[in-house]
Amino acid sequence: MAPPEVHHLFHNPIADHSFSADRKTLAIARDTTVELYSKVGSTYKLIDELKGHDKTVTSVDIAPSSGRIVSCSQDRNALVWEPSPQGYKPTLVLLRINRAATFVRWSPSETKFAVGSGDRLIAICYFEEENDWWVSKHLKKPIRSTITTVAWHPNSVLLAAGSTDAHARVFSSFIKGTDARPDPGVWGERLPFNTVCGEYMNNSAGWVHAVAFSPSGDALAYAAHDSSITVVYPSGPDQPPKAVISINTQLLPFMSLIWNGEAEIIAAGYDCEAFRFKGGVQGWRLSGTLETKGRPGLSDNRDDSALNMFRQMDLRGKAKDDTQLKTVHQNTITMLRPFETSGDSVQKFSSTGVDGRVVIWHT
Amino acid sequence: MSIIQQHTAASLSDAWRTLDVDALTEDSSVNFDTSTLHPASSLPETSEADARQINAQVRQLLRGGDAEGALRGCLEMPVYNGSEGAKDTHLQTVIEVLQSIKASDMTPMLQRIYGTPGGSECLDVLMKYLYKGMASTSSGAGGSAPRTPTRMTPQQTGFSQAGGRPAPTESTGAAMSVLLSWHEKVVEVGGLGCIGRTMTDWRRV
Repeated sequence: MAPPEVHHLFHNPIADHSFSADRKTLAIARDTTVELYSKVGSTYKLIDELKGHDKTVTSVDIAPSSGRIVSCSQDRNALVWEPSPQGYKPTLVLLRINRAATFVRWSPSETKFAVGSGDRLIAICYFEEENDWWVSKHLKKPIRSTITTVAWHPNSVLLAAGSTDAHARVFSSFIKGTDARPDPGVWGERLPFNTVCGEYMNNSAGWVHAVAFSPSGDALAYAAHDSSITVVYPSGPDQPPKAVISINTQLLPFMSLIWNGEAEIIAAGYDCEAFRFKGGVQGWRLSGTLETKGRPGLSDNRDDSALNMFRQMDLRGKAKDDTQLKTVHQNTITMLRPFETSGDSVQKFSSTGVDGRVVIWHT
Repeated sequence: MSIIQQHTAASLSDAWRTLDVDALTEDSSVNFDTSTLHPASSLPETSEADARQINAQVRQLLRGGDAEGALRGCLEMPVYNGSEGAKDTHLQTVIEVLQSIKASDMTPMLQRIYGTPGGSECLDVLMKYLYKGMASTSSGAGGSAPRTPTRMTPQQTGFSQAGGRPAPTESTGAAMSVLLSWHEKVVEVGGLGCIGRTMTDWRRV
């Protein structure tokens, strides 16, 4: 397995990152700005800063085909950045929320996006031609707490959301005039706006940090603060799911997860490394870490001389410098994204975290 | 007219920061019973008599020398839904079992339990009882004495930590050391996830 590609951008936490479809532009949510990096040779160079928010930017997403960037922030606003020859032009979105916006994602159709918020609702935003304005409709019931994460179904109508009330939910976000009527599937037949197609909670009930639909859209996985991942296989509308499989791990909680085909999930979080889960409707298991042990460049550059040992003891009071983690990321990983895919499987994925690193991994 | 004139004494002070804005919102979490999010009533209810019966069965297993069976037995039937009396009885049962197991047997026994189906759940339950045990032994001798410390002398020295706690008696110290050594062993086998689940789980013991 080829070693991961590591880009250390700065010493600040990265709230979210997104690559453009050609993988040449990288958007990074840093403090109150969205920074755009461009690939120059083998490194990423800062080319533009999108300033428009006045509080921490919590999430950013680039639409793959239109190139529009959407960002949201604790200042309760979302901005759509339209690419133009003179640079990116921001448009304010009418979110109508009075708490922080926490998470934003474009739907696969790119005609709308969902904004999770601390106001116990999800704003589904779409463009209204006659007013030339991004407007929103609210998904409210039965959310009882902050939305931490959202994920779209491939049909662009169903939306999964994780919340701090420990529930993962699946909603319909059908907007008349914007969406084509979806085919009936395992989640439901008729799907008017705000239909709750599923509501799930673990017994050990942690905050939900990440949700994701499988590539087919017929299964939902979520990671919660009880160090578990749960995979739900629904069987049909108004019926109990075929299987709900929860794997409680010995590890620290996972912050983000992605599917790699229907039989593999990659999750990462507070352990600062990514783990692989394998399984299917019969059951899931943790199959190991993606970190390669004994990676070159970790310990072989240490100077093991006696002089260095005594210098270390003199400077730090100990002989060994153990301020570095053995993982590539030096702090919590907060976001995983597919980087290079073919069909349903992910060849490469990218991760960012609190340590300011962007790492591109081979699966 | 400058905008600064709109500041008043009220807005310049930071008293407004202490306002609980959530209390003013009709459907916020403080005006809402969060326990309705959990199907707590669906858990089987355990009465105090049931808890005592489990205690008798577990003791019998212990007398027969089957410490592992006793431990499994009481961890598979935690009292989630029951009176305080039932919960305390079951805590005493668990602590009795824990005290009767030799230190050298702890890790192999936990590993065997963890390896079986449902073993991870058992360890989570054990962790919950360990924390409950620590909470009750530290706030009164053996969990049965009054929960408020009787002696609270103001500190003369600069060390504020030392005197604020009730003086540990012989028995609480022993009980605590048993719980602490179990805690260490459970974390070794069940990992840190075990502690996280103890904190997030809505099924309290």
